[in-house]
Amino acid sequence: MTIAKVCVIGAGVMGSGIAAQVANAGLPVLLLDIVPPGVEDRSTLAKAALVKLAAAEPAPLMSKAAAKLIEAGNLEDDLKRLAECDWIIEAVTERLEVKQALYRKVDAARKPGSILSSNTSTLPLKMLMAGMPESLRRDFCITHFFNPPRYMRLLEIVAGPDTRVDAINAVAAFSDVKLGKSVVHAKDTPGFIANRIGVYWIQYAVNAAIEMGLSVEEADAVMGKPIGAPKSGVFDLLDIVGLDLQPHIDASLRAALPKSDGYQKLSADFPLLQKMISEGLTGRKGKGGFYRLNKAGNKKTKEAMDLKTGNYRPVMKVSLESVDGAKGGLRALVSHPDRGGKFAWTVLSQLLNYVAGLVPEIADDVADVDLAMRTGFNWKRGPFELIDQLGAAWFAEKLAVEKMPVPPLLATAAKQGGFYQASSDGQKQLCLDGRYKAITRPAGALLLADIKLKGSPLAKNGSASVWDLGDDVACLEFHSKMNSIDLDTLSMAKKAIEIVSKGMRALVLYNDAENFSVGANIGLALFAANIGMWPVLDDLITQGQNVMKALKFAPFPVVGAPAGLALGGGCEFLLHCAAVQAHAETYMGLVEVGVGIVPGWGGCKEMLIRQNAGNVPHGPMPAVMAAFEQISLAKVSKSAANAKELKYLRKADGITMNRDRLLPDAKALALKLAAEYIPPLPVELRLPGPSGKVALNMAIETYALQGLALPHDVTVSGQLANVLSGGATDVTEITSEDRVMELERGAFMALVKTEPTLARIEAMLATGKPLRN
Amino acid sequence: MTQAVIAGYVRSPFHFANKGALAKTRPDDLAAAVIKGLVNTTGVKMEDIEDLLLGCSFPEGEQGLNVARLVSFIAELPQSVGSVTINRFCGSSMQSIHSAAGAIAIGAGEVFVCAGVESMSRVPMMGFNPLPNPELAERMPAAYVSMGITAENVAKKYGISRQTQEQFAVESHAKAAKARQEGKFKDEIIALPAASEDGCIRPDTNVQALAGLKPAFDKDGVVTAGTSSPLTDGASACLVVSESYAKKHKLPILARIKSVAVAGCSPELMGIGPVAATRKALQRAGLSINDIDIIELNEAFASQAIACLRDLNIDAARVNLDGGALALGHPLGASGARITGKAAALLKREGKRYALATQCIGGGQGIATILEAAS
Repeated sequence: MTIAKVCVIGAGVMGSGIAAQVANAGLPVLLLDIVPPGVEDRSTLAKAALVKLAAAEPAPLMSKAAAKLIEAGNLEDDLKRLAECDWIIEAVTERLEVKQALYRKVDAARKPGSILSSNTSTLPLKMLMAGMPESLRRDFCITHFFNPPRYMRLLEIVAGPDTRVDAINAVAAFSDVKLGKSVVHAKDTPGFIANRIGVYWIQYAVNAAIEMGLSVEEADAVMGKPIGAPKSGVFDLLDIVGLDLQPHIDASLRAALPKSDGYQKLSADFPLLQKMISEGLTGRKGKGGFYRLNKAGNKKTKEAMDLKTGNYRPVMKVSLESVDGAKGGLRALVSHPDRGGKFAWTVLSQLLNYVAGLVPEIADDVADVDLAMRTGFNWKRGPFELIDQLGAAWFAEKLAVEKMPVPPLLATAAKQGGFYQASSDGQKQLCLDGRYKAITRPAGALLLADIKLKGSPLAKNGSASVWDLGDDVACLEFHSKMNSIDLDTLSMAKKAIEIVSKGMRALVLYNDAENFSVGANIGLALFAANIGMWPVLDDLITQGQNVMKALKFAPFPVVGAPAGLALGGGCEFLLHCAAVQAHAETYMGLVEVGVGIVPGWGGCKEMLIRQNAGNVPHGPMPAVMAAFEQISLAKVSKSAANAKELKYLRKADGITMNRDRLLPDAKALALKLAAEYIPPLPVELRLPGPSGKVALNMAIETYALQGLALPHDVTVSGQLANVLSGGATDVTEITSEDRVMELERGAFMALVKTEPTLARIEAMLATGKPLRN
Repeated sequence: MTQAVIAGYVRSPFHFANKGALAKTRPDDLAAAVIKGLVNTTGVKMEDIEDLLLGCSFPEGEQGLNVARLVSFIAELPQSVGSVTINRFCGSSMQSIHSAAGAIAIGAGEVFVCAGVESMSRVPMMGFNPLPNPELAERMPAAYVSMGITAENVAKKYGISRQTQEQFAVESHAKAAKARQEGKFKDEIIALPAASEDGCIRPDTNVQALAGLKPAFDKDGVVTAGTSSPLTDGASACLVVSESYAKKHKLPILARIKSVAVAGCSPELMGIGPVAATRKALQRAGLSINDIDIIELNEAFASQAIACLRDLNIDAARVNLDGGALALGHPLGASGARITGKAAALLKREGKRYALATQCIGGGQGIATILEAAS
C-alpha cells in the first residue's frame, strides 16, 4: 500500500511535531484536535499549534514550503476527511478511555485498509485494542516517536497479534525512507525499548548520586560524555524533559511491570523532586530545575541545586580524576577508585546487567536495543556495545565477584567474546542460541563503513581517502579532524579526479561522519600567517581553486552528498559539484567572514552564478546584492530544503531523509547523470564594477552607523564588495569565472595580513565561536 | 496670465509598505484607481484633459517605462490625453501641480490631472539597481546620503531633542486619529478593493512607547522609526484647471494657486529645504508667513519638520490640522499632491484665506506652493 496522505490527531507538542516531519517529507498532512467549548474558531487548537510550530526552536519545520502542507482542522467538522488519509496517527492524551472513544470515531470515518497507529509511550497495545473490532485490530499498531520528532531518529513500532504484516511493512518503509527514521520493532512491553532502559538509567543514577554524595554537576559529568551519552547526563536531561513528567512515567512503569522486574527495586522516594515540582521548578520549561540561570542583579549566573540542602548555588567546576581518565576507555572510568569511578560502576553495572536480561523480552535482538538507545537517547553506543567496550568476560567476572547475578545472554557473550563480531560480510551480533548472525540494514541502506569492511581504499592519506563504491563510481571521503580541509585533502581530491578519469564513471563526495566538513583548516592558515609564510597561503588558495575548477569541469559528474555541517570550504566543494544529494539535515553556508576572510575557493563566484549574475536584463545589482547579503551575514541553512531557498543547493538537487540512505541515493544520482553527462561551460558574468561597489559600501556604512557592523566587518565586507562587484570591470564587459577567483584570492590575501582577521581565526580555534571585532 | 485653480483632490488610503493592505496592489493600478475617482467626484469631462502629470520617485519596475501613459490607459482616459512621469523625489507630485499651473499660465492647456504614486512595497527605495557614480561618491559622499542620516544631521544642527521629536510625532498621530474618527478623510479617500481607510495611523501611541524604540539610523542618534515617516504605499491626485474653465463648467474651486517655488540646499541637511522654498514663494506672493492661515508641511521626519517650523517662525496650531506624514504615511511620489490638495481643501473647510504646502526633498531641495481662497 502507498501512503500519500497522513492525518495526525492531537495537536500537542508531539502531534504537531510528527505532522511537521510528515510535511518535511513533502506529504500533505491533516492535523486535527478537539473543538474546545465556547470558541468561535472551531479549529483553534490545531491552528494555534501551527503558529507554535513556526516559532519553535529547534525548528520542527525544514522549510516554508513544508509549513504549507499542514492543514489544521477539528475532530467534528473534519472527521469525514479521515477517508482521505492512508495513515492516521493518534497522539492524544495518555488516557485509555479517551483513546478508545476516539478509535471508535476514527474507525467509523476512515477508509477501509487505512492504518491507525498510536504514539502512546505508556499504554500497551493489548489494552488499547481490547474490545475493538477485528477490522480495526488488523490495521492498528503503535508508532512511538521521540521528542522532537524531526531531530530524534528513533521510531519504535509495535505490532499486535492481529496487525496485518503489510500494514506494518508499509508504516516501517514509509517511516524509514520518507520520515528518515531508524525503525526498531519493539515488543508490546511497558516503556517499549528506549524508555524502559532510559528511565531505569535516570532513576538509578539519580538515586545513586544522592546516596553516594555526588553533586549534580559531578553526576552529569560522569553520566555524559565519558559513557558516550549526551553531556546533559541525567539531571540536566530531567530539566530538558520536565521534572513533573518523571513521577508519572515512574508510576506508569511500576504499575505495568511485573513485581519481579528489576525496576521495582529502585527507590521511588525522592522528596526533593516532589518539593521542586510543587514549587514550579519543573526544569527548563519552568522556573528552573536542577540547574537554572539566575538573572538577579543584572548578571547571569548558572546555578545548580545542592542535592543535600535543596538550595541553589553557583555551578562548580567538576574535578574528578575518573572523568579526566575516561579518555583511557570505559574500563578505566569504572575501575577508578574516586567517587566518580565508583558512581560510574554502580550505575553501569546495574543498568547493563538489567538490560542484558531484557532480550528477548523487549526486542528480538541486541542490535535493536543498541540502535534504540543510540537513536532515542543519542547515546554514542548502546548498552551491549558498552558491555563489549568493557569486555563482556571482564564485566561478567566483575559482576560475579560482586555477587551479582549474571544473565544467561551475558554469560554466553562472556564465553564467546562479546555481543558483536566484525567480519568481511559486515558486523555480526550474538543471538540467543549463542551463534553470531549478520546485522542486516533495511533494504537499500548503505554506509561507507559497509564498503570499508570489504576492502581497502583506492588511495589514502592522512586527511582523505578514495573508495570504490562499485559500478565504476568512486567516493572521496574526508576523515581529518572535524573533516577540515587541508593540503592533503586537496591532493586526495586531485587523486580522485585522476582515478575516475582513468575509466570510472562518476565521483561522489561523501563521508559517514556527523558533519560533512567544517571548512578549511584555519589552524594551518594561522600558523602560516604568524610566521609570514604568505606564499604558503597563496598556494593554499590557488590549489583549492584549481581543485574546485577540476571538479566542476571534470568530464564525469561529481555528486556531493553532505549531511550535518558543510561550512566554508566544505560548502565550496559542494557548490562546484554537478549535483548534490543532501541529507535533509544539512547545514550549509559560506561563513568565512566569521574568521575575517572571504570565500576564496570559488564560493563568491558560485554564489554570483547561483544568483544569476549573468542575467543583464534585470540589471547587474540584484544578484550581486543577494550574494553580498548571504556571504556577509554568513547565512547557514537550517536544513537541506532551506539550503535550496538560500540557493546553496539547486532546485534539482536531491534530498534524502534517512541518513543511512544518503550514500546509495548519491551513487544512484551519479550513475543517472553519468549516462549522458556533458560537463558545464564556464559562465560569463556581467558585474557592475566600481559603481556597484560604491552601492555595497554605502550599505555597509549604513549598517556600521546603526551598530550592526563592527569595524572589521566593514573591512571584510569592503573586500567582499570588491570581489562580488567584479573589481574594476564595467557592466558592458564580460567577467570570467577565473577573474572572480583572482579577486577572491586578492581579497583573501589582503585580509589574512590584517591583525583583526588573525585575531578572529585565533578566537575561533580557541573558543569555537566567532570574535566580534 | 491665466490663473490656475485646484478643483478637486482625492487620494488612496495610505498603508504601510510590505506589511500593509496595499502591498499587493501594483502602483499603476493604484494611481489609475485614484485618477478614476478624481474624474468621478469632480465630474470633469475626460476629453477636455490636456495632460496627466504623474509624480513618482523611483520610476522603474512596475513604476517604470512612462508609467503615466500606462496609468492613463488603465484609468481609461481618452487616448487624446497626454501623459508624463515627473520625478523630483518627494516633491514629484507637487511639481506636477507647478508644471500644470505654468502650462495654464502660458495657455498650453486648461485641464490637468496632477497625480502622484509610490509603491514602496513593490519598488524599493534606491531602486533595484543602485549604481552610484564612484567619482562623485568619492568627492561628495553627501550626494548619496541616506535620508535617516539627514534627519540626524538636522536634529544635531538645530538642537532638537529626541523627546521633542517624540512629542511632535504623538501629536501628529493624535490629530490624524481624531480627523479619521470625525470622518474628515471621507471626502478625500477613494475606497479600493484592498482598503478603504488609512492603515498607518496609531491612535494609541504615546511618548512612553516611542521612548522605548531604538535609534533607527545611528546607534548613538536621536531619530527612531517612531519619529520617521513610515515606508508607505499610496497615490493621490488633484484636478488643476484654469479659473475660467472651472467657472464655465461649474467645477467647485478649492483654491487658487498663488505662487510656487523650489530651492536647493545642502544634501546632508535636505530636511531644511522647505525654509528657502517657502521664503521664495512668500516673496513671490507678496505675503509674509504671518499671513498664512493653513500650513501643510510634509513630515518626512519629526526633526526636520520641527526645524522648519522654528526657522520659519510658525506656530504649530496652523500646521497639519488633520495630522501629517508621520501618522498618515509618506508614499514619496504621492505626498506632494496630497499636501497641496489637502491645503486647498482645508482653506475651503476652515473658511480661511491663504494656505502653504511645502516639503523637503532628498538630495537637498525644498518645494513650496501658496494657495489663496477663491473669492
